[in-house]
Amino acid sequence: MNEPSIKPQIASKAQLTSLLDNDVLARLERMRLKPRRRLTNRSQGEHLAGKGGSSIEFSDYRDYAPGDDMRYVDWNVFSRLHRPYVKQYQYEEEMHVTILIDASSSMQYEDKFLRAKQMAAAFGLMGLLNVERVSVYSCNHTGQRPVFLPPCTGRANMSRLFEFLERLEAGGDFPVEQAVEAVLARHRGRGIAVVLSDFLTFGDLTRPLNLLYSAGLEVCAVQILGPSEIDPELTGDLRFVDSETGHTLDVSSVGDLLGIYHQHRLSLEEELAQHCRSRSGRFLAISARDSLSWVLFDLLRRRGWVQ
Amino acid sequence: MSFPGFASLWAAWLFLIAAPLIVFYFLKLKRPRYEIPSLALWRAVINDQRVNSPFQRFKRNVLLLLQLLLLCLLVLAAMQPFIVGGPARGDYVPVLIDCSASMAATEKPGGPTRLDVAKERIGELIDALLPNQRMSLIAFSSTARRLTDFTDNKRILHDALDKIEVVDVPSRIEDALQMTEALVRTTTMGIDSVLMFTDGNLPEQVDFELSFQINYQQLPPAGKNIGITALNARRSSGGFWDIFVRVEASAAGQSAADVELVQNDTAAGTQHVVLDAKEAERLVFRVESEQEAQIELRLRPSDDDSLASDNVAFLTLPRVRLLTVFVPPDLASYRHALRAIPSVELLPQEGADAKPTLPTYDLLITDRKEDLEIEAAAALYVGIVPNDLTSLVKVNEGSADVVDWQRGSTLLQHVQLAEIQSTDEPHSTEGTADGDYEQLGYEILAFGRRGPLILSKRVGARVGFYLLFHSDRSTLPYRVAFPIMVSNLVEVALQQSSLSEVRGESTGVLPPLPLDRSRAYTVRGPEGFELGVASDENALVSGIPAERVGTYRFYDGGDVRKQVGVGLLDARESGLTATDEIRFPEDLAVSAAVEDVRTDKPLWPTFAILGFCVLLVEWWYFHRRPGGVPTQ
Repeated sequence: MNEPSIKPQIASKAQLTSLLDNDVLARLERMRLKPRRRLTNRSQGEHLAGKGGSSIEFSDYRDYAPGDDMRYVDWNVFSRLHRPYVKQYQYEEEMHVTILIDASSSMQYEDKFLRAKQMAAAFGLMGLLNVERVSVYSCNHTGQRPVFLPPCTGRANMSRLFEFLERLEAGGDFPVEQAVEAVLARHRGRGIAVVLSDFLTFGDLTRPLNLLYSAGLEVCAVQILGPSEIDPELTGDLRFVDSETGHTLDVSSVGDLLGIYHQHRLSLEEELAQHCRSRSGRFLAISARDSLSWVLFDLLRRRGWVQ
Repeated sequence: MSFPGFASLWAAWLFLIAAPLIVFYFLKLKRPRYEIPSLALWRAVINDQRVNSPFQRFKRNVLLLLQLLLLCLLVLAAMQPFIVGGPARGDYVPVLIDCSASMAATEKPGGPTRLDVAKERIGELIDALLPNQRMSLIAFSSTARRLTDFTDNKRILHDALDKIEVVDVPSRIEDALQMTEALVRTTTMGIDSVLMFTDGNLPEQVDFELSFQINYQQLPPAGKNIGITALNARRSSGGFWDIFVRVEASAAGQSAADVELVQNDTAAGTQHVVLDAKEAERLVFRVESEQEAQIELRLRPSDDDSLASDNVAFLTLPRVRLLTVFVPPDLASYRHALRAIPSVELLPQEGADAKPTLPTYDLLITDRKEDLEIEAAAALYVGIVPNDLTSLVKVNEGSADVVDWQRGSTLLQHVQLAEIQSTDEPHSTEGTADGDYEQLGYEILAFGRRGPLILSKRVGARVGFYLLFHSDRSTLPYRVAFPIMVSNLVEVALQQSSLSEVRGESTGVLPPLPLDRSRAYTVRGPEGFELGVASDENALVSGIPAERVGTYRFYDGGDVRKQVGVGLLDARESGLTATDEIRFPEDLAVSAAVEDVRTDKPLWPTFAILGFCVLLVEWWYFHRRPGGVPTQ
């Protein structure tokens, strides 16, 4: 599902953002995030969070109790059963969509960072248009505070979101596990946390996932890898240089080790997926060269991330 | 299959270089830098890949393996391995190379000569010389020449080998063996055997006490050959000469040829001859010549002929004249005997002065001591004791008879000396042995009871006979033996003066030639031969080498004073017969080797070439772009 080019188009007057085409934006307007858990804020929103709400979405019946609003009594049922039942509707509460973009140097390769920004724009747009609170964090260098877009909501902040994302630059050595902690230090509210990263880190990923879970955020981890990371074509004796730390690693007969490499890459995916599942979260691994339309409108739908 | 040996086993210590090589390899291994997003996955891969076996590391280091392989090849080359070709050879290897005339024979027209084949084989031996081996080249024909000392310098050996050329002389192995024996004795290191490369055209019996082993390498036989093996001429009546030519064919097959006689550069006759294998035929030409004439015999084979040097022979016919014989009038018996012999001019003539009038005579017979100064090609001194023998022999009055005599000598052929009595009794002084006469150059032809009776001595080209007793005081003139002896003397004089019979000269050394006394000449011969010589006090020029078939001319300034043609004229050389076994005294025999000399094949060039190839591969591998690295 690769597309020939995913280079960002120059934003013109006709284009709202260089990250996404207008037709993609149009299709995204009709989509909304579909979290697994009821992780919403108590403030009024448009997110259906549970029974007893005042939305138009029917949820259940219950026996009438004195003091209930007579407007919710289902008179059709009363006429057949001669007993009053009250219709219940789902709550519409506000959900905080937190988007964390890994902007370390490792994301500079093979349009991984661009794809991360596009995915962030898509998730953010869905959040804004569904009157959710959307905040975006980008972590570059260790020790520095993350660059972030303060929580905002509504269509009015759409351009603000796009401008923020368009200005983001990759580079730095901020490990994703530390980035999560840095984000949670500033973050308030429950909802979902979309983590866009390659998850290539030496650190332990269970702690940040636990922190997200305990913070009331449903983890939606998206691993974005480049084609050369998914299927490297290397042989001979090489000295690998880490783009973030500058550390080197001498590897002989690389071609002979590609099998083991693939095992470890798939093992990392499986491990991440397992960690997310065990914390009621979700995990998705994509290639930076996968078609954006396919990812947004096919893969995410099939995986139940959006509706 | 024999295990290879090593000429420089000490070089195995160089294998220790492998240790620093491995260390430096891992310390200084140049790897292409390749930046990747994160080492996280690869570090996990490496941690997983590091299994217990350390050889896994070597397995993946192709460059190191190539370097180790290169080191091994270079060290092996330095150890100078060789495959043992045969029995162990000594450190010192003398090589005898036959370069006689027969070595110029070819197996087929245009093919390599026997000497070329020998050179090729010896060249292989030189190339296969091990570092601890020395070789000395000795070329032999009728004599032997040591071309090189014992050396392992292959360039010197190859240069010396290339300079060996065939000389048109018969082969004599004795000189070479004596030289080799001297080498064996003077060399401190052992000489296991002496290699001898020859076509086998050698005498079957060699008078030499062999003290070392000979590896007799017989070269492949040559093709068929026909050649002139003898040439002489005898004067016949009427100013004619009969030219006798002997033509022989080799054992390889039937041969045919035209034999052309050229007299003073003019064709004088041609005869065709067809010979079966090993057959010989004598051809006779008759030519008329009153004056000196140059005769050249040219043999033109009708088909293949493997040897060219025996296809020409030369002869010089002398001017026809009477034999000048000086005999004092007192020796009436000799003058009487000589008058009966034709072609003799007896001097002095009857009634003439008894003193000699010619500067030289063909024959001198005298009993006067003052006539010792007369020059003559042959002389018979009657009753005269030479001055150099006065201390060895005394002549007393008495009775002497002949006990024994050399019946084969030219003077005494068919001469019966038994019962000859003489009143002169020559006797050797006390303590004088026969060897004392020989030391002074005399040969005893007849023995009396107390000493020699007849002696002969050759001085230069002249021969003198000495009757130590006076024949007039003996019964000799009254015997039949007397005219026979005088006739023999005339024959000797004729031969000495070349008036009745001449022989074609063969290669080797030119015979002493009479020229002007004490004068310098320049000799020019075939193939650019040139030599300055000088005649001695006897007006003879002698000792001039003539190793090539052709005409040798003596120049005095720009004038040719004399010319002599020499041919091969050797039946054994022309016959190209190969002797499979050479016999030596004490029942020693050396047989031709069944197989070629198996040389120790050095392997270091092979290892060096392999090392170079590995070096190229390593260079390519080191500089090649690692596969999969993007070109950015």
